[in-house]
Amino acid sequence: MVVGNIILRLRGSLEFKCQLDSTDVPHVQKVISRTFEALGSQVKAESLVLSLSSSPVFLWPNKGGHATAGEISPNRPCKDLQQLIQTDDQESSRKKSAKKDKKNPTAGIINLTLMTEVTEPGVLSAPTLLRGSKKHHLLQTTLPMDCVVSVLSSESISVVCGTLVGALCSQLGDMEKVALRHMKGTALLIPQPFHFLLPAPVGLVTVVYPAGVPDSQLETRRKELHSLFELPDDRPYLRRANALHFPDEPYKDGYLRNPHVHLNLPALENGKPYLVQGVYSYHHYMQDRVDDNGWGCAYRSLQTICSWFQQQGYVERAVPSHKEIQQALVEVGDKQGSFLGSRQWIGSIEVAAVLDQLLGVTSKIMFVSQGSELASKGRELANHFLSEGTPIMIGGGVLAHTILGVAWSETTGQIRYLILDPHYTGAEDLQVITDKGWCGWKGPEFWDQNAYYNLCLPQRPKTI
Amino acid sequence: MNTTQSSSQRDFVVLAVRTPQKDTEGQGSPSVSRGAGNSLEYLDVEWVTEHARQVSRMLPGGMSVIGVFLVTPPELSKEAQNTLRRLIFAVDKHISKGRLWSLTEEDVTEKVTLHICSKTRKVVCRTYDVRDPKSSAKPADWKYQSGVCTSWPLLTCSVGLNLVFPVLEMHVLPQDMEKCMKEGLQTWAKQIEDGLCLINGDAMPGEVELLGGQKKNAKAVQQTFRAQILIPMAEPQSERRLTATVKVCSGSLTLKGMVQCRAYLHSNKPRAKHATEVIKRDVINTVSSRVEMFLEDLLMEGEDKGSVGVQQVLPRRVFAPVPGMSLCVCDYMFPDECVSDVSDRLKEMLDWETPEDSIDTSQEAVPEAPTIDLKNTVVQKNLKAKSTLDARPKTPSEDPTEAHKSHKTYYAGVAMAAAIALLATGTSLIYLSD
Repeated sequence: MVVGNIILRLRGSLEFKCQLDSTDVPHVQKVISRTFEALGSQVKAESLVLSLSSSPVFLWPNKGGHATAGEISPNRPCKDLQQLIQTDDQESSRKKSAKKDKKNPTAGIINLTLMTEVTEPGVLSAPTLLRGSKKHHLLQTTLPMDCVVSVLSSESISVVCGTLVGALCSQLGDMEKVALRHMKGTALLIPQPFHFLLPAPVGLVTVVYPAGVPDSQLETRRKELHSLFELPDDRPYLRRANALHFPDEPYKDGYLRNPHVHLNLPALENGKPYLVQGVYSYHHYMQDRVDDNGWGCAYRSLQTICSWFQQQGYVERAVPSHKEIQQALVEVGDKQGSFLGSRQWIGSIEVAAVLDQLLGVTSKIMFVSQGSELASKGRELANHFLSEGTPIMIGGGVLAHTILGVAWSETTGQIRYLILDPHYTGAEDLQVITDKGWCGWKGPEFWDQNAYYNLCLPQRPKTI
Repeated sequence: MNTTQSSSQRDFVVLAVRTPQKDTEGQGSPSVSRGAGNSLEYLDVEWVTEHARQVSRMLPGGMSVIGVFLVTPPELSKEAQNTLRRLIFAVDKHISKGRLWSLTEEDVTEKVTLHICSKTRKVVCRTYDVRDPKSSAKPADWKYQSGVCTSWPLLTCSVGLNLVFPVLEMHVLPQDMEKCMKEGLQTWAKQIEDGLCLINGDAMPGEVELLGGQKKNAKAVQQTFRAQILIPMAEPQSERRLTATVKVCSGSLTLKGMVQCRAYLHSNKPRAKHATEVIKRDVINTVSSRVEMFLEDLLMEGEDKGSVGVQQVLPRRVFAPVPGMSLCVCDYMFPDECVSDVSDRLKEMLDWETPEDSIDTSQEAVPEAPTIDLKNTVVQKNLKAKSTLDARPKTPSEDPTEAHKSHKTYYAGVAMAAAIALLATGTSLIYLSD
């Protein structure tokens, strides 16, 4: 194996407590800054302990990386820490994690937690009690520390410990800036760290945002950061929804994410794949306790598209239900009131209308008079995935599907379509979905050669 | 009463201490009391329970008051059983008041009652489950053993405190000081209880035997284990909170310093789990005991306005060896006390003579004089001298002995009902007749 990088993630809570004798702004700011400074000293104290998750190992980073387990000495490479981590079900997850390792650069993270040793006192004298009698406002919260560092796996533990403490200090500094910037009177918004995996060469960055302030109000900050990291200024990279999703944290909503990454690409002569960018959730029949078997396929495809816009940070609203979709269509005048609660199908035009109404997203409509024509749409589809990278909803005949990508050869004209099928009625079983082709690569014969098709190609709003 | 270590089948009684006699106003002489009652009716239960509480404060971790004994003439033997039952429940209740840690399912709640007939020397030993107010007596065997605790392992650690308790606007000091401190200490105690304990630098699974690998009958030297306690730096907040909480406070209480902690373990295959439990409980007890003592003292002294803004020194822990054993008990010294006071207390509470130079006062250092105080304070490094750190301004006419006595919440005097007995640890039974 090549000596690569290891990612270490350190999380924990630090208690933020300060006494405000008065509420005038300069005083408040001074006290807040002093409190952050004190936290900085706490983090550099010898009593700081890092607990290696799922292991009996504890490290004292400010004592040169001294550890509890005898086998680990501070000058050992940090990759040795991985061997000490006990994983529960190594058997079943081996298959999945092997694939994940290839696709996910953050696999194999070492998780650590912040602790303190109370039996490591700096003060040596017997306890004293001090009574203070000044009236004051007591500000109290816990800061959700979350640092991620990427180091060479051959780096020694003592150096890595130093890096982690440095990351904590610098995060405290970021939190202080955010806290002061958004403070109103005695209301201190809790600074929260988010991690983003930005395109090379930037890589992993952590940004601190104030809790409760929606993304829409943080545009100035994002503009600064986009310019700092030289990111394009027309698509979001640093909204909260864009935050990196760590592989060891399962999504709580139960939907599968990007099942297509587990498929092998089709081998076409001089062919290249053009795929959806980013993350979407797989929506299909029978989910959310809605029995839409036989009529809801276009609704589900629309939900998949909405999930894409939500997870790329363009919208904050949740994926709409069948009811909400129907409601939107009535509101725009596309359907009559009797449409509500019905099992009527919808097509690409309705999908585009709902995307516009609920998400503010515009779409391009592509029309083919015969299914056989789709074979020649390779270039157009490829361009769509290159520039927009959004899932496409295709409706025709009696069926609706989602196109997640194309593999197309410019020279031979051969084409394959990556299809996500909303007609699946089973459980969120990745194995079944990929094996049985509910998410899979199809040839041009997949389409009804004589039916006409409408395709809805959602366009990315130009915003950060 | 008896102080000991408990296990589910066996309790080791290491000390039996008699309750000191109570001073009855004006009628001091023992001869009066002997005649006054051939009845246990006049036994002052409160007196006994208070003695029990004082003694339990003197016990390091792993040891506790587990029972009471009564020595009576034969005609009171039957009544003695009822009295013992009343006493054992009352003692347990009084001792558990103010306890900041919770009993677990594995804790032994069987307490021991012992009755000794002064004439026949017959011993009747019974146990009661104090968790069940309706529990009935269970018979138990009383056996003498020598040299039981010579090799009981010892766990030590010193814990640093830096706690700030807010005094909310609605509270008024000093009346509400106890409430404010109790609430804050409860949170802290929970953190300690839930914390991780390393023994000699290792995080051992609970079932590991600490003395694994030692020959069973080897005359082992007492082993000392170093304990380390790790806690999360803070409890994570509810995810729904967006802003820091704001409380309007009229003041604050800051508790800072280091406490020295000790706990003893059964020599009979102690496990890591038990060890971590006893040392943590000692940590919690030592802090809550001295805070309690401080507050009791304050209550007796009355409020003094000069103490605000000044660091007041809490009683510090000193250790004294138990005669004939490799165990220590502890006591707490107020800043203006000296070693002879400790020696007096040990005599009174535990009824044995302790040479002053065997009392170890070096474990917790005297804090330096605070710089916050605007008055002039003199730094006292001499441990024995009467300290001027006490914020109460002392007038020269104040009798020093009065000052000492005022710190004691104990009473001295002559008791009434029960006869006197002394149970030595180990081999023999000594009676002192009334």
